[in-house]
Amino acid sequence: MPRKGAPVSKTTKADGIGTVRVDALKPTLDLARSIYEQLDAGEIPRMRLPLRTKQNIAFQMKDGVWKLGRAMGTRSARKLDGALMLLRTFYLVDFINEMAREGKTSTLRELYYISEGWEEGKFHSEDESNLLIEDLEVLCERLREDFRVHPEENGASVIGDLTIKETNRKGVVKKINCRDDVGDGGYAIPFNVEKEKIEFISSGAKFVIAIECGGMVDRLAENGFDEKHGAVLLHLKGQPARSTRRFLKRLNEELKLPVVVFTDGDPWSFRIFASVAFGAIKTAHISQYLATPQAEFLGVTASDIENYELPSDNLTDQDIRALQAELTDPRFKTAEWRSEIELMLKNGKKAEQQSLAKYGLNYVTDTYLPEKLGEMGVL
Amino acid sequence: MPPSKTLAQQLAAKQREISVAEFFERNRQILGFDNPLRALLTTVKEGVDNSLDACEEAQQLPDILVEVTKEGVDRLRVAVEDNGPGILKREIPNVFGRLLYGSRFHANRQSRGQQGIGISAAVLYAGLTTARPAKVTSKVEEEEAAHVVELLIDTQKNLPKVVSEDLLLWDRPHGTRIELLLKAKYQRGRQSPFDYLKGTAIVNPHARFTLVEPDGTRITYERASTEVPPVPKEVAPHPYGLELGELAYRLKAATRPLLLECLQKDLAGVSPRAAREVLSKAGLSSTTRAADLHGEDLEKLLTALHSVALVAPSAESLSAIGPMLIKRGLRNVLGDVRPEFYAPPVSRPPKVRGGFPFLVEVGLVYGGALPADQPVQLLRFANRVPLLFQQGACAITTAVQNLDWRRYGLDQKGGQGMPGGPCLILVHVASTKIPFTSEAKEAVAEDPELDKELTLALQAAARHLRTHISRRTRREFASEKFAIILKILPKLAEKTSALVHKPVPDLTPVITRIMDVVSVDTTVASEAGGIRARTEVTNYTPRARVLEVFVEMPCELVPKAKYAQTPEGTDAELGRAWWTLEKLPPSGKASIEVSFPKGTEVEASDLSWYIAGVDEAHLLGAEPLPGDWDVRLPRAVIEAAEAGLEPLPGTEEAEVDYDAAEGSARVEDDES
Repeated sequence: MPRKGAPVSKTTKADGIGTVRVDALKPTLDLARSIYEQLDAGEIPRMRLPLRTKQNIAFQMKDGVWKLGRAMGTRSARKLDGALMLLRTFYLVDFINEMAREGKTSTLRELYYISEGWEEGKFHSEDESNLLIEDLEVLCERLREDFRVHPEENGASVIGDLTIKETNRKGVVKKINCRDDVGDGGYAIPFNVEKEKIEFISSGAKFVIAIECGGMVDRLAENGFDEKHGAVLLHLKGQPARSTRRFLKRLNEELKLPVVVFTDGDPWSFRIFASVAFGAIKTAHISQYLATPQAEFLGVTASDIENYELPSDNLTDQDIRALQAELTDPRFKTAEWRSEIELMLKNGKKAEQQSLAKYGLNYVTDTYLPEKLGEMGVL
Repeated sequence: MPPSKTLAQQLAAKQREISVAEFFERNRQILGFDNPLRALLTTVKEGVDNSLDACEEAQQLPDILVEVTKEGVDRLRVAVEDNGPGILKREIPNVFGRLLYGSRFHANRQSRGQQGIGISAAVLYAGLTTARPAKVTSKVEEEEAAHVVELLIDTQKNLPKVVSEDLLLWDRPHGTRIELLLKAKYQRGRQSPFDYLKGTAIVNPHARFTLVEPDGTRITYERASTEVPPVPKEVAPHPYGLELGELAYRLKAATRPLLLECLQKDLAGVSPRAAREVLSKAGLSSTTRAADLHGEDLEKLLTALHSVALVAPSAESLSAIGPMLIKRGLRNVLGDVRPEFYAPPVSRPPKVRGGFPFLVEVGLVYGGALPADQPVQLLRFANRVPLLFQQGACAITTAVQNLDWRRYGLDQKGGQGMPGGPCLILVHVASTKIPFTSEAKEAVAEDPELDKELTLALQAAARHLRTHISRRTRREFASEKFAIILKILPKLAEKTSALVHKPVPDLTPVITRIMDVVSVDTTVASEAGGIRARTEVTNYTPRARVLEVFVEMPCELVPKAKYAQTPEGTDAELGRAWWTLEKLPPSGKASIEVSFPKGTEVEASDLSWYIAGVDEAHLLGAEPLPGDWDVRLPRAVIEAAEAGLEPLPGTEEAEVDYDAAEGSARVEDDES
């Protein structure tokens, strides 16, 4: 729940971020014009949007990612929920135009608090404001950064032999090696990872390993896995933020580094992989920009749990429902994923990455990863 | 050598009369005295039941006081006092000091007490637990003073033992008070005297009850009706469901010698024609004497009685509470709960089982402060007496649980068991003989005939509930629409207009498209000049309407009514007046005012408003014209109504609601 009277809008200068496209304002005003014209014609105002649901995503050969399909939904003032979302849309459009006039930007969280002043249009949860911003992205075919709204830094990080140039918030260009020039925490990925902010210079690494949990990143770093095997360690921090996914995609495309994804062995981790490799449903409208179709799943797989005799937990009812939902998810409709999901359902077991510590602290770096990477042909 | 005793003699020597005390000890539970909480309730209940029966017989409006005071650690003094006709001094010891003594057991009519065990059992229990006599004070109208009798029960002989007698100048014309000291415990809540009196007040709205609790709290239920229910008439048993033994008993005690006449006089529902048909079917001659009938002939007679069409049993021996008084009783006691809906109570016609007539009544209340997340409250009554124990073993409960309440708008797992929701259900079974599961009279036994009636009555009440809930859903739907047009739409228009630098457009057409109803809003206000009922009709539909407005009121109000707008016509006999609202454009309003002089007893619910010229789906706040009203509507109204059924151009076809569909996306992946 938002706190009443929380400090509003600690805005930063747009300068130095450099991604705001001025032409983003026009489509927002076009939306307002469309509603105005409907009202003027005596019609119940409405907007049509592509449905962002599991049933409405389609694989796009051109980009190799899953994107929004053709099914449309209507947001109409005929219903209370629809009317409220329409009203909020224009409070938001008004706010965006105001920010543009004043040269400000806002975080998603600040936007949520800004809505305190929107009376009926006030958001009841941050989910609602995030969804509305995504709706606006879809409607205007722009990114939220174009609307001067961005997420907070989320702390995902990179460790490994990777040299980049970053233009920091003071406009100073810094050259950073993500192994030698950073502390134990690694290089923190900023929310803006576009070319004008970050440039990839070079890398001595052979591949990128994207890891779900921080503890596992630390383990690999402590054991010197990155140096020994030429790996860039990338911390996903659970479901990865847009910037993390974009960063990974650029690493893959620009430096031609293969990407492997190393997560827990449970249904939720499968979804982390899906949003990295295939594109997430909620952001299917920008999958071509965020997804890394070449990424491969390393583990922990259902068969790893068996083969390595890992300590495991029984699947909960929620886990089982999640797996069953994945069986009807078009992104998982490959023979490999089906058998993986079905095997997990059959065994009824899940395991964490760190369960590999059963065989000692070096087992993951000395045995498990070399074996798996060898099978995948990465090592 | 003396002859040795035979086995029969030996057995006979062991046989002896069982004293009532022993009988009581062994049957505490069935008599309702098995623990201190229950002993108190049973005592209060027997006392109050007796008082109510006595007042009813004397056609007196009952005024009953129950006082419970604490004496020592585990003893309570219980006093029950009434304004009944009083008891003659010589009868006092028998009424209160002798088990199985009473006037009602043999009477074939409905009464609260039946077996004559109740109050004497309480006296016995008091004597057994505290060794203190019961103190009875009673005055009859003809005597100057009241008699005060202290008595115990001789547990060996089942006879009253009078301890003392005295006279008292009592400040009332007549009445009875009994005081008992017994081992008991007072506690509020379910199955307490408080609950019992509350239930009793509901089904006896003609009585006034006062309860004084041990801590001095005084609760009074004022009477909600000044009509004393008529004393149920005593009637002969009806042959339907009559058993052989009972038939033989009736024929032995016949008032007429000839069987032909006896069938007509000593049984109910047998006409002379039916009596002759019965005799011929049973192969008996018309000169057969009632007393001569034995064995096989008796059985033939019974079979014949069951196969001949008879007059349905009479309800005269039953005392139904009746729909109006059920409603008043519920209102009186549930006032502080403020229920939003009182279903019209259901009073089924009498039916017969086992030769005894019975009937079922159901009242249902919904909403207000009744808890929404709890099982429905079920109030069971038998012959106007609340049943507080053994809910699970009662046929009434079974009937409630076997109904699929989901169809009527309540929650119920799997369509069986106790339904849940903000609802209270009252069920009253009246009969000259209630089939109780035990002597303690706490639960009604299962019976197919009874179950059928219970189910029919519950269904009828449940249908009213369903109608109410669906109307409420419509109102909520409408309030959602009002929220859109009053709060959201104007702001949306203001915002978008400002963004495109244009003036705010006229929203009337959009508003009427969103609402698409004719809305009727009625208010009744008491003003200096009198009472003014005002009805405002707003056409929130996208086209012009011609409407006919009808008001219906109780006939006695018609001469007092004054109309601000001259009606198109009135019908004093039917209590109606009507107006034609010419060409009401979209968003147009019209109002009609009816006023009554000061002091007229009139409530909003006395006036019913009906609208013709718009179909039910597009009407809010009033009813469409009832189908059985024979009214000729003006041509303009009919034409406008027909035009209203045509779909408007540009009406959008069914589309996927984006905001309902999007919810599913949130479940699928959660990333930032």
